[in-house]
Amino acid sequence: MKKALDEAKLLLIGIPVAIWTLLPIYHLFLFSISSKDEAFAGKAWPDHPTLRNFGIVFREQHYFLNHFWRQFANSLLIAVAVGVITLAIAASAAFAISRLRARGGRAVLNCALFTYFIPAAFLAVPMYKTMGGYGLLNSPWSLVLAMVTIASPYAIWVLKQAADRLPFELDEAARIDGASPLQLFCLVYLPLMAPSLVAVGTYALLLAWNEYLYAFLLLSRDQDITLPVALGHFLSADDSPWELLMTTGLIYALPPAAIYYAFKRYMVAGLTAGAVKA
Amino acid sequence: MSSVSFHDVEKTFGSTKVIHGISFDISDGEFMVLVGPSGCGKSTLLRMLAGLEEITSGTIAIDGRVVNHVDSKDRDVAMVFQSYALYPHMNVRDNMGFSLRLRRADRREIDARVARAAKILNLEPYLDRHPRELSGGQRQRVAMGRAIVRDPKVFLFDEPLSNLDAKLRVQMRSEIKALHQRLKTTTVYVTHDQIEAMTMADRIVVMHDGKVEQIGRPLDLYDRPDNLFVAQFIGSPAMNVVSGTVRREDGIAWLEADGDARWPVGAVPGIDGRPVVFGVRPEHLQIALAGRESVPGEVIVVEPTGAETELLVQVGAAQVTLVTAGRPNVRPGERIALAVEPGMGHVFDQASGRRLAA
Repeated sequence: MKKALDEAKLLLIGIPVAIWTLLPIYHLFLFSISSKDEAFAGKAWPDHPTLRNFGIVFREQHYFLNHFWRQFANSLLIAVAVGVITLAIAASAAFAISRLRARGGRAVLNCALFTYFIPAAFLAVPMYKTMGGYGLLNSPWSLVLAMVTIASPYAIWVLKQAADRLPFELDEAARIDGASPLQLFCLVYLPLMAPSLVAVGTYALLLAWNEYLYAFLLLSRDQDITLPVALGHFLSADDSPWELLMTTGLIYALPPAAIYYAFKRYMVAGLTAGAVKA
Repeated sequence: MSSVSFHDVEKTFGSTKVIHGISFDISDGEFMVLVGPSGCGKSTLLRMLAGLEEITSGTIAIDGRVVNHVDSKDRDVAMVFQSYALYPHMNVRDNMGFSLRLRRADRREIDARVARAAKILNLEPYLDRHPRELSGGQRQRVAMGRAIVRDPKVFLFDEPLSNLDAKLRVQMRSEIKALHQRLKTTTVYVTHDQIEAMTMADRIVVMHDGKVEQIGRPLDLYDRPDNLFVAQFIGSPAMNVVSGTVRREDGIAWLEADGDARWPVGAVPGIDGRPVVFGVRPEHLQIALAGRESVPGEVIVVEPTGAETELLVQVGAAQVTLVTAGRPNVRPGERIALAVEPGMGHVFDQASGRRLAA
């Protein structure tokens, strides 16, 4: 009886939260399968659902969509680069701090934490000046470097915590077995950290994928910008093509969903089971 | 195969000194056990030999070569950890072959050596399994396999059996011993369990508070402990000890202890009138007829274990344990007389704990 009551309470909270979360997504979906006239009809399901909007987007048949594929590719390249570079930096830093007990590791961690006292938006202008100084404006590298800067501190923290949970005897066993620090890193540390690496890499990738402010500031030519910035341009018209905006938005939301779904099982740790007696 | 020598080795963590100038040698092929209560520094000493801890001062040499500043991987030692420390992402075969792979050994040679080690340790059916799919005893064997494929100069064991249940512990104890008799590799084995030390060692180093209390063959430590610490640490149940003063009467030296108890201490010269500690092992006490040299006491607890019976007996203010073969017909509350087997008493100085002659 008590259990049923507990479940009822959970449902009471869960159902409104689910509706709250899913309603905008449903709205997005609804717009993308409606014609321009029907989009604002205020119905829960359009009278004549259509996939015409997707055709327009994929064939770049609208003024705002002239560079759709190019911008999609920009987003993808930048996001993947940010994911990979952040992982490389954070995995090495966490290894040095947690496993090699590098001097000053604690200070690095504290600095990393400190960076989060300053909202990323405050750094946008200084970052713009810096990138300008290096002549990187309008280059995808400016956005990659900016996003790596923002993602790394958190990534280092998370990976350091994960690395601390690996039994230290494994390192000692590997050292006695004859492993150099580099071999330890590649053959023992990276494989065991795989679940955390996937989680952190996904985090950095999605952070860059969803970034608007920095992309808007650092990139300006139509061929260079990422899709979120291009979506923003839709709103500069008096008569915005909402159904196309929503369709593009929906398409843009699919890769993160796919990534999350694909890596879901890696995000659950459990690889270390059996290493040492728990 | 190699010798190992410790010379005046010290270790300090911050301002705390944990190893106080230890020196001893281990000869080629010897099975040396470091034993002592937890915190005595035995694991630290082993880890210094393995190259996992810095040596604060003194020298450690393997085969005559000082290894103080030699990296672990170049010392040619193999270690078995208490927690096994198997690589969880590798199967048994890769775990055992890992060190050879790092040395860029030939694939066929790795396979051959892993197969040989697996045969010795009965691990052949498990080579393709991961550590998480093995039982505790099997993991322990894989950890040993990882050590023996390398054919190192010295095997190091750091409390390898403490995570196993009692039955498996006894089985693995004899397996390790048999393995050593077969391979004859110099072995340093750390344990807090004196039974493991007694049953496995060629020689034992008893450590306490970062110092060596005594080094010797197991039965020598048992028969002639140098001091009270070793006397009480080696042997189970532990040696009975009674403090008192020696007085001579009727030509017999008696220890007069609290509660009007008198113990015959035998022929130790020059101890009359001295405050000493008299020790006797439970198995060297017997139930006797009341006589001139017997000690009267009252039975408190009777614990039959089948082959033997353990009695807890109140003698004066002290309680002593007696172990006897068979099943004596005594009950709690009964008064009995105890006799010390001739020549089996030990006398220690009360202040220093040192053994007094004889």
